[in-house]
Amino acid sequence: MKNIELTSTTAQRIYKDYLKRVEKCLTILSKVDRQEMLMEINSHIFEGMQRFSDNNETDNLLTVLEKLGTPKEFLKPVIADKKIAQAVRTFNPKDVLQALLLNFKNGIIYSVFALLYLLLFVFVFFIASKIIFPTKTGLFYLDDKFQAFGFIQNIDGMNDVLRFWFIPFVTLSAIIFYLLITLLLRFTKKK
Amino acid sequence: MNNLFVHKWTAQVKKGVLSFIVLNILQENEYYGYELIEEVKKNTDIEIAEGTLYPLLNRLKKEELVSSKWVEQESGIPRKYYSLSEKGKINLQEMKEYWVNMSSSIQKLL
Repeated sequence: MKNIELTSTTAQRIYKDYLKRVEKCLTILSKVDRQEMLMEINSHIFEGMQRFSDNNETDNLLTVLEKLGTPKEFLKPVIADKKIAQAVRTFNPKDVLQALLLNFKNGIIYSVFALLYLLLFVFVFFIASKIIFPTKTGLFYLDDKFQAFGFIQNIDGMNDVLRFWFIPFVTLSAIIFYLLITLLLRFTKKK
Repeated sequence: MNNLFVHKWTAQVKKGVLSFIVLNILQENEYYGYELIEEVKKNTDIEIAEGTLYPLLNRLKKEELVSSKWVEQESGIPRKYYSLSEKGKINLQEMKEYWVNMSSSIQKLL
């Protein structure tokens, strides 16, 4: 991206600082999206500066930036939108978490998804439990009838049908669950 | 107290109609961001933090109501021009009809 040529060093510093703030707000976006937005803001500043006929560069720059607003404030919606799109495309848990946090305020639907994702920790808990209490964690049957799944204090006469398959089974279920809710999230965005 | 309520209400109304205004402006011509903001200001008395227009344009683009293209300039700093897409034209028509109906029914209440 070509920077705007400014003669005063003060103006240069203000300009660079502003662009840096914009860039910082956009770090969670992909490189292409970030570059695009940055170029557009840069173009806005340039066009704004052209509208002045006097030579008070620093004053004019400050006026343009003031009217444009605080990057952190006005960029909020675009970041939230793009983050969701990115999250459902990549399946990256970090993206999903960021997207949900950014969109949390946008409505009840995202709160529901946040809860669903939180449920994933139950699986983690089961695995930890199996490691600490191997005999008391599992899928328990008593005389071919389902009794419990997970951690249970009293296992008298019960049979753990999964045994050492418990951890692989729970891990696989967690992955499937994760894929399902992320696909669901993608679907809600597409409607 | 009353004033605060009115203030919040007008802010909501402005926010709600901004995309409608932008689409209306784009039906005549294609504009780059800064120019588009000037048009919004010229045609309405809406005072907006200019930056808010960019997320809005982004959303309109995502919904495929507008399309955009970068046009190189002599200055070396290109402009991003926005224009109304076919889908945008159809949507705008529906929005206009809705707007006319709603304003005439509200007019009756006043």
